[in-house]
Parts: sequence; C-alpha cells; structure tokens
Amino acid sequence: MLSGMFQASIKNRGLILDPRTKFLLLFTMSIFVLGGAGGNITSYLMPVFCAVPAIALFSAKRIKPAIVYLLLFSGAILTTYFFAGRTHGLAHFLIIGICGILSRFLPCIMMGTYLISTTTVSEFTAAMQRLHFSEKIIIPLSVMFRFFPTVFDEFRSINMAMKMRGIQFGGVGAAKMIEYRLVPLMTCCVKIGEELSAAALTRGLGGEVKRTNICKIGFHLQDYLVLSLCVIPYLLLVLRCFGLFA
Amino acid sequence: MNQETKLKGKDLINVGIYAAIYCVLTTMVAMLGYIPIMIPLLVVLCPLIGSTPMMLFMTKVKKFGMVTLMGTIIGLFLWITGMGYWPAIFGLVCGFLADLLDKSGNYKSAVKTIIGNGILHITLFANMIPLYTDIDGYFASRQDFGQEYITSLTNIMQPWTAPVLLICSFAAGIVGALIGRKLLKKHFMKAGIV
Repeated sequence: MLSGMFQASIKNRGLILDPRTKFLLLFTMSIFVLGGAGGNITSYLMPVFCAVPAIALFSAKRIKPAIVYLLLFSGAILTTYFFAGRTHGLAHFLIIGICGILSRFLPCIMMGTYLISTTTVSEFTAAMQRLHFSEKIIIPLSVMFRFFPTVFDEFRSINMAMKMRGIQFGGVGAAKMIEYRLVPLMTCCVKIGEELSAAALTRGLGGEVKRTNICKIGFHLQDYLVLSLCVIPYLLLVLRCFGLFA
Repeated sequence: MNQETKLKGKDLINVGIYAAIYCVLTTMVAMLGYIPIMIPLLVVLCPLIGSTPMMLFMTKVKKFGMVTLMGTIIGLFLWITGMGYWPAIFGLVCGFLADLLDKSGNYKSAVKTIIGNGILHITLFANMIPLYTDIDGYFASRQDFGQEYITSLTNIMQPWTAPVLLICSFAAGIVGALIGRKLLKKHFMKAGIV
C-alpha cells in the first residue's frame, strides 16, 4: 500500500520547485519548527510553515499523505487546545507529550517526504553541483538520498515477514527481536548497495573527468515566493540580535 | 595524494550506503525519546544498535577520510533532524579523531577499530549539549511538550551527568562494537559478505 510512496517520479509533480528551494525550506523548517529557534518572535509564522508541506503534497498529487497529514496535525493542535487545561497527571502528560511531538515533527517529516518523493537523484546532484559542494560530499549524500526509500521499504517487508514468524513484542526476547530484523536488513542493504555502486560506476561516477548533467534546474516565480518566505524568520532572528524586538 | 590513498567513487558510495542504514536505525531508536527517562538512555541505546552497521562499514574502509566523512554526514543528518548544530561540529571532530586512530592501526587492528567506534559515537552525546548549556532556552522553545515532561527532564539532566553521559556514549560505542563484531562473525562471514 505504502510502497513506492517515497520513490521519486518526474511525472505528476505539479508545482515544480528547484531542489535548492526545497532544501532551504526543509532546513528552515527543521531549525524553526522542529528546533524551535527564535521562540516567540517567529511563532506566528509557524502555521504558514506548517501549511507549506500540505500545499506542496497536494500540488504533487500526493493526496492521501496530504490528507493524513492535515488530519493528524489539526487533530494534535485541537486536542492540545481543548484538553490540555482540563486534564491532570498521567493523562495530561500523555496528551501533551504525544500532541506536542506530533505537531512538532510532522511538518518536517512531511516536508522530507515531499523532498524525497519529488526530487530525482540527478536533480539533487545538479543542485549540489550548482552550490559548489565537493564531490566527496555530493556522492555519499546522493547515494543516501537514493537509499533512504530502499531501506524503509526493505525494513517494512522484513518487519512483516518477522511478524508472520511471530518474532515481535511479547513473543521472544528483545535481543532476538532486534537481531532478527537488523541482520536481514543489513544483509540485503549491502547486496543492494553493491549492485547500486556497480551500476553507478558503469555510468562513470567517481571518474577522473567532470560529469555532465542534463537536468534543467533553475529558479522560477514559485521559488522566489518560497525563498522569500524562508528568509523572514532568519531576518527576524538577526533583527532581534540588534535589539529591535524585546 | 597518490592513487592508492585517494578516495574513489566506490568508497564514497559505500559511505553513503552505510550512513543511510545507520541513520534509519538510529532514527527508529530515537523515537523512544519522548519518554523523558529515555532521553539520556538514548546515548546508550543508539550506539548499541548503530555499531553493527558501523562495524560492517569498517570492514570496507581502507583509506583515510572515509570515517571522517561518515562522522560529518551523521552530524549533518542530526542537525537537519533538529538536534542543533553541536552534533555537526562533534561529528566532524570525532570522525576525524576516530579516523586517525583507525589509520594508525591500518584499518585492520580490531582493538583500535573498536575504540574508534567509541570515539565516533561521542557525536551522539552532542545532542544533549543544549540541555546543559542552555536548558531554559531549550525548553522556552518546547513549551508544548508539557510542564511535566520539562520538569522530569530537568530533574534528570543535572550538570554532573554531562561527563557521565559522555563516558557512557563512549562505553556504549565500545560494547556495541563488540556486539557488532560478534554478529559479523555469526552471520555475515558465513554469508560471505565480509
């Protein structure tokens, strides 16, 4: 059902954003939404940032994740709003803990999903080259980028297989539970990785000459809009350093 | 740099693959962190689980720079996932130190590899640094986690626990490396992967 959710496809992308824009957006969100930098002065911007992944996912025709995200996120916010003041003790702790973490992590997770599911590895590499990163960091990062979906897919399959064998919570010990998942996961990831590196070497990755790239990336109107949105919290942070906000 | 010691495409790809496996595994373990008592325990749990892919990675390392890159990438990943900039700095420094140590053993010495793994995992301790240096600032931005979460975490994170946790992450890295080597012997050598 979920398999293929992370696989990038160049069709159905809707609003096309430059990979660099997506990265800045993810980075900004992980600093300000997840990391909570800036505190009060940027807090009124947060709803805007939280809405961006939903819009982006809708435009990329990922309707299901977008709706799930909206429901979970608004559910978490509303639960905090209505029940936080009325409960005490353990229930209070659980509600606040779960909702706080959901509303903090979900936007970034969805942004990451969007980034991975709409950017091809070539586009990613092209963007990194434009940013003048060293090849030593581009290659591992692009492999990682390509490999995350694979690891998740494999883990999901292994998890199902182990559940079928009854190796799960309550069945056997924790050590066995971990070992029986870790070892197959690593074995198949290593095998896939070897094939991947053979395929990449065939196409001249890591050769002596500079690789060319045919991906057309560049900034358009939508990029400028998102970029200017991303700049605002940093500006506010800098302004606060100069003491313009108390 | 001559041809022998220069990092090639295959080495860089290997770094990427193992970094991906490592990051996925540690992220899954780190999900336990919303129980306050688990936060300091993560420094122990993540190395225990994450050392197995790391030991498998070490069997592929033959050149200087790969471990440094690995540390840097893990640090960057932690930064992106919201742990602050400390892990990125620690990742670079610890990766470099571990690399130097492993290099002195020519990437073959078991003892040096295991200690190097311990050093590399000090990176995970860096996630906790904001809790010591700026605990009020840390929670000013995390009010929505709830007062009880904050109180219980503040009670756990007394200043004297900082060196203890640092040593714990190092020790857990070593123990994890031992477990990892055992798993390698048990499973991967038989399958012809190592």
